[in-house]
Amino acid sequence: MNRVLLIGLAIMLFNGCSEATKSSSTSTIAKTEVTSEQMSIENSVVNIEETQAIVLLSGLPTLGTADSIAIIEIDPESNNFGNILYDYPLPKLDAPMHHMYYSPNGRLYATGLGSQCSLAEIGLVRNAKAEPKINKFECLNTNGQNVGEDIMWHSVNGELYMFVTFMGGSDLTQLDAGSVGVFNAQTNEVIKIIEARKSQVAEGQPFIMFPHGISAYGDRMVVTSAVHPTIATEVGNTVTIIDLNTFEPIETIVTEDSKPVGFPSSPVEVLFVRPSIVEGVEPAILVNTMFGFETWKIPYNEQTKTFSTPEKLYDGATAGTGVPLEFYGNEDELFISHGVPGIVKRYDLKQLPNLVSSGEDIKAESGAHHMIFYKTASGRKLIAVQNNLLNLGDAKDNDPTDIDFIAKLNHHSLTVHDLATGERLGEINFKEKYKKGIDNIEALFGSGFTHHH
Amino acid sequence: MKTANIVVVIAVILIASTIYYLNNKKPVTHLVEFTAPFVFGRFIIPPNNPLTMESVLLGKRLFYDPLLSSNNQVSCATCHKQSLAFTDGLKTSVGVSGIPLAFNSMSLVNLMWGPRHFFWNGRSSSLEDQALQPIQHADEMGRNIDELIVDLKNNDTYINLFMLAFGEISAQSIAKALANFQRTLISSNSRYDQYLRGEITLSSQEENGRKLFMAHPDTKVTLRGGNCIDCHSQFLTSGFSTVFDGFSNNGLDNDQTLKAGLFSLTKNEAHRGLFKAPTLRNIAVTSPYMHDGRFATLEDVLAHYNGGIKRSKTLSPLIIEADNIPKTQNDHISLNLNDNEITAIIAFLHTLTDEEFLANSAFSNPFIAENNND
Repeated sequence: MNRVLLIGLAIMLFNGCSEATKSSSTSTIAKTEVTSEQMSIENSVVNIEETQAIVLLSGLPTLGTADSIAIIEIDPESNNFGNILYDYPLPKLDAPMHHMYYSPNGRLYATGLGSQCSLAEIGLVRNAKAEPKINKFECLNTNGQNVGEDIMWHSVNGELYMFVTFMGGSDLTQLDAGSVGVFNAQTNEVIKIIEARKSQVAEGQPFIMFPHGISAYGDRMVVTSAVHPTIATEVGNTVTIIDLNTFEPIETIVTEDSKPVGFPSSPVEVLFVRPSIVEGVEPAILVNTMFGFETWKIPYNEQTKTFSTPEKLYDGATAGTGVPLEFYGNEDELFISHGVPGIVKRYDLKQLPNLVSSGEDIKAESGAHHMIFYKTASGRKLIAVQNNLLNLGDAKDNDPTDIDFIAKLNHHSLTVHDLATGERLGEINFKEKYKKGIDNIEALFGSGFTHHH
Repeated sequence: MKTANIVVVIAVILIASTIYYLNNKKPVTHLVEFTAPFVFGRFIIPPNNPLTMESVLLGKRLFYDPLLSSNNQVSCATCHKQSLAFTDGLKTSVGVSGIPLAFNSMSLVNLMWGPRHFFWNGRSSSLEDQALQPIQHADEMGRNIDELIVDLKNNDTYINLFMLAFGEISAQSIAKALANFQRTLISSNSRYDQYLRGEITLSSQEENGRKLFMAHPDTKVTLRGGNCIDCHSQFLTSGFSTVFDGFSNNGLDNDQTLKAGLFSLTKNEAHRGLFKAPTLRNIAVTSPYMHDGRFATLEDVLAHYNGGIKRSKTLSPLIIEADNIPKTQNDHISLNLNDNEITAIIAFLHTLTDEEFLANSAFSNPFIAENNND
């Protein structure tokens, strides 16, 4: 299902980071949030397993393995480094589970890239030996929405909602049926499906194509239009603003001025920079464009509730990087992963929404994607980077689901680095060690509650 | 002759080995099984006191047995009644001496989580260490441990239970058994727990109270808060477990009347007047409140935080700073919650009542069950 998407990606990547070409004007988008409750979760739990992570693993078809959720040890100082401490087999699904998120109440969710299970809740408990166990994996009713990507919990007029982006929307055969699902955060029931098909709205009216990234501030939410999950030719170059008072799209903004690999820019992840992240900051949306290789800023005027013309902050095509993906933050820095060549760039949090470098790039591996921050038993601050774009196998293994170019962005590894220096302290290659791919990583409990991607 | 000697020597060795084996045989025990909410966090069971069914069974019997007191009339359960979430409903407890104790009876619930220091002043660092103190305290149970051990060794039921759990009757095994029974007192099915699991939805008033509970007020962004979360964690509602973070001076007394509190353990003046922030689980059934039981109702407690705070040198800065209206008078410390907000917080506190826990037969008096069976 994601194959076609990947083919498109592959083509682009094979072309490499060509020189930027001038094109149309632009615009942007963003996401993430730390609530006071989330912070209190972090503060309330001592004895958290800081050096353990929960990961989504994909079975690689020709290697005879199956999808699972695992808990792994990631302290390079530990004799158990890289070991799977617990493995929970997932049911056979039409596509891998993709992202995990903790809700403000500590409930764990995952999105899935298919149609059989595009959103799930995972039950975590602890047994009498204090070991974490999974006692439930429940695929949720999305009212037909497919290919779940990102989740964000956000309060609107005092009511907490769970927002989920579905790149495939309710009909994968349509060119532009992507949707944003609004769920009751307590019951997981669908409250509303936000759709605005470009083919159906009037000329000049806001539309949503393939929503992937999501972020919000106050009564404004932004979602990206990335790529169609199954139709390779359909790639977006916009972000859409949603009025959370009405749950209606109110503005679509282009974030593109060049096509370094010949495709539209494909805005992927967004971050609405806001005062809860940086005290006193002038709000703005940051947008990573997967195929534009860029990071954009869209200033937001909170008084007039208007967004200004997007401004390109970072151009990977000229800087030698491609496929920027995730935004993550800690107390001091913002981190952006770049799948090509596999690095994590770091920026001074206080300088946001502008990107002012705070240090050397962290050299991970191709497909640098999700990350977590944690401390070792001895107190050393680390960052672990999951290096894998999407698990579709590897042609060298005669894997029928593989596409060569994707293999270039699937290092199947987790690299662990000293947070201060970037020094690599360890690497776990899941394909070599477990014959599986790694789709996502989340701190087991605690540190993962700081900025999510 | 020579062969006969060898046979005798071998026989002696075999007999000695058998006797040694029987005397030192470890009892076969079985670990307790349960699941607890993941959000409670990790817990640690001492490696030298595994949580076995046998030790818990023994601990429960000891907990309810007045044999543990000098007058054979006071048991642990005298001051820790299950229906009151293992408190006693008194301002301060009364033991064998009849003299009111200095402290209000603490609820025994979810003791594997939260502060790792027990008693209101944190004077004990483990449940095992804590367990024998009330037994030996002259005013509480007034029991000489050596004499208690003699009595237990004259009781066939205890001989059997101790043998099964620990292989011996000793002060150490008494402490271990009591500690392990208390470890099993897990409350995780209140309406709040059911809410956290997504099984129910709180009423609008309860939900408003929950939000206030979880918020430190910030007038700059018009965030109203009850400031409870600063001392009572989100899920356990107990004090925080890092070092002494679970202890606080919540403004009950001024400097002239400030009690020692944590100072009695640490001898650190900065800890004078700091007491353990208790769990708020089942708080609706554990009145009266505070370390000395000075407040009879939850309304009294809220009134304290809403204008009754007394200044002292160690008063929590989080309490000084927390206000729902911009500070205009430095001397006036109050949350300035309105009546509806106070009512909402109390409504939320009632969602912490776990009826299943309060009636769970696994925690109940085994002697009653035995008598009923008789």
